[in-house]
Amino acid sequence: MANMKFKKMEYSSADEMVFGEAKYPLSYGLGLKVGAGSVVPEINFAPRPGTEKTPESLTKEYVEYITKDIMERAVTLGFPAIQLENEWIAQMGENPSKMAKPIVAGQKELMQKFHEEYGIACAIRHTVADPRLHEEGLRFGMDKKRDYPEKIIEGFEVAAANGADVVSIESVGGKEIADYAVVRQDIRGWLFGIGYLGSLDMEWLWPQIVEVAKKHNVVPGGDTNCAGANTAMFMAGGYLDKDIPRTFSAVTRAIAAARTLVAIECGATGPDKDCGYEGPILKAISGRPSAQEGKGAQCAHCDMMGNLIAQVCDLWSNESVEYHPEFGGSSVQCWLSVIGYEASLMNAAKQLKQDKVLRDVYVASDRFRSPEAFILAFDNAYKIGQAIVEVGDNYYLRAKAAGLKAAELIQESNKQGKLQLSAQERDTLEKILTDLRALPDEEGKFVDWALKEYANVPAFNPKNYEL
Amino acid sequence: MLDFDNMNSDALLKRYDIVAESKEKPETIAEKHLPKDPLLRKVAEDVLYMKYKTIEESVTAALKENTPEDVIEKGLLKGMDAVSDLYGRGIYYLPHVMVSADAMDRGIKLAEKALGSGRKTKGDIVMHAAEGDPHDIGKNIAAVLLKSNGYNIIDMGKDVAVDDVVKTVVDVKPLAVTGTALMTTTMSAFPRVAEKLKENGMDLPFICAGGAVNREYVESFPMGIYAQKAANGPGLVGKALDGWDWKKIRDKWDEILASSE
Repeated sequence: MANMKFKKMEYSSADEMVFGEAKYPLSYGLGLKVGAGSVVPEINFAPRPGTEKTPESLTKEYVEYITKDIMERAVTLGFPAIQLENEWIAQMGENPSKMAKPIVAGQKELMQKFHEEYGIACAIRHTVADPRLHEEGLRFGMDKKRDYPEKIIEGFEVAAANGADVVSIESVGGKEIADYAVVRQDIRGWLFGIGYLGSLDMEWLWPQIVEVAKKHNVVPGGDTNCAGANTAMFMAGGYLDKDIPRTFSAVTRAIAAARTLVAIECGATGPDKDCGYEGPILKAISGRPSAQEGKGAQCAHCDMMGNLIAQVCDLWSNESVEYHPEFGGSSVQCWLSVIGYEASLMNAAKQLKQDKVLRDVYVASDRFRSPEAFILAFDNAYKIGQAIVEVGDNYYLRAKAAGLKAAELIQESNKQGKLQLSAQERDTLEKILTDLRALPDEEGKFVDWALKEYANVPAFNPKNYEL
Repeated sequence: MLDFDNMNSDALLKRYDIVAESKEKPETIAEKHLPKDPLLRKVAEDVLYMKYKTIEESVTAALKENTPEDVIEKGLLKGMDAVSDLYGRGIYYLPHVMVSADAMDRGIKLAEKALGSGRKTKGDIVMHAAEGDPHDIGKNIAAVLLKSNGYNIIDMGKDVAVDDVVKTVVDVKPLAVTGTALMTTTMSAFPRVAEKLKENGMDLPFICAGGAVNREYVESFPMGIYAQKAANGPGLVGKALDGWDWKKIRDKWDEILASSE
């Protein structure tokens, strides 16, 4: 399937990028504008365990507790705009018509009431689950047991037809190889899994999502490599963790950018997904609005770039929080307050024309905290974007170029005595550079080699990618 | 854009990982695990240094002068002991363990062939990722660590139906069963597994772990034993092998983890 491919940057320089502004802003939902001069908080949530037992109990949890609490807190604190994100739980994706439909409709109906009563600008993103199992099959007709590929599209239909304003997914193509490679510190395998196979899977999946979105006049948002690069990032962790060297996870992030871009090339318009930390690279290339998460997502996970990653966001998210009571209200209310106030700070900086100063202060805070933060700093993200578009029409070459550029940037800063690396991080970086530089320049040669090298990886079936 | 490179970041962060970097050499630590016999030592070193491409050659050479049991016990497993020690001290990272385990696996297959049958393992462990949950990387890591410690793994995969888990446990009667889940809404399969195991007369440690899983939740249902990370697996299962029931393992959980750190 042919789709457009980025061969040049939408931004003419890194410094042009700042939070709250995108080259291609969007208007959708109930009066919401994204990337049009302000940052909007995006609150994400999960229901309490046990509420998933029946459609009634789950709908009550999502609508009467979670959505109502969120809208009330947004109005209480005077936030002018808000986006909700409902990341579907497994039970919703398993039976969209029965489990998801009443939730999608109920949430929107309640948001409409708040919009009408207070004039608050709001919208909701529905992120449909991707439960596909590589061993059963990623394409239609392959998964005879559960029909997961078909259920994804059914899920998008249900979401788009019943109240979603934006639809997104966290697709899992190439994850079987990436999971195998990440625990073996095998960057070539990771490149094959995410850079190549992941791109092929998105090229199959995303035109269908865009088609459903267009049919129902909703926004096809974007994807994320949560399944791959976030696995690497969380395993790399912080200074007490010893699972994956952080130089490895940094390079996987750059490779992931070349893959997540495919959604936009297939017609997604942004905003991309908050957990896609590769977002700054995507925004530099495409000019599309970006959702990001960092210090306001500590309820969900610890990252090493809590401030930095706010640098060029258009939506500022909390990733996800399970609904439960806190001293200051329910969890969704407390975390909305956290991200809403941060958005307010960014918007105040914009009003005072100090936004680029604040952007740089965010970056300065975390630039040298980890290699991954370093390569995602907007100036370096821009350089990785340039490496991608230079060979933009080839999935393999651009993923390799992104990884190589990230590794070179880290090495250069380390040699200059700026970005510190542990011995393990440095050794890993050198191996990554050697491995990537030794790869062939021809896609065919690489794929032939990889198909043999990873033939016995559990759950890997080349037919999932028409190979 | 401000000048980031000329900023003093010492006031913003401290690289505790670099401060705490081990000064010990891996060779020195490994030495106490390695056998003296040169052929067995070569086998152990191939595991230790992740030489999965040459290990078959080394095992073949060792088998000419040693029994298959000795090649496994005194060569391959000794190499893995050294790897575990280095991992425990934070000198080796997880990928070292995984690649060393791959090498050990190749060696064991060859030695077992010479043995004419499968080697005797410490016992069976049934592993699965919860119904509705497609995330299984943690389970896969735990499986490698348990296998490296001499257990036979029955890996049921991911998104495994509650009834399938129960049926396998009833059929196999393993030392322990494990379950992993990333999401709070899929970990709810665990109490259902526990309930049905109980209905079927099973009473064994059900070790549960994963992103959203916590100790309080796991200890809210019978048989549930919490694991913080994959590396806890061998320590917890080791107690089942020693004959401890799940109640005793749960009761002494802090001590078990502290002693296996």
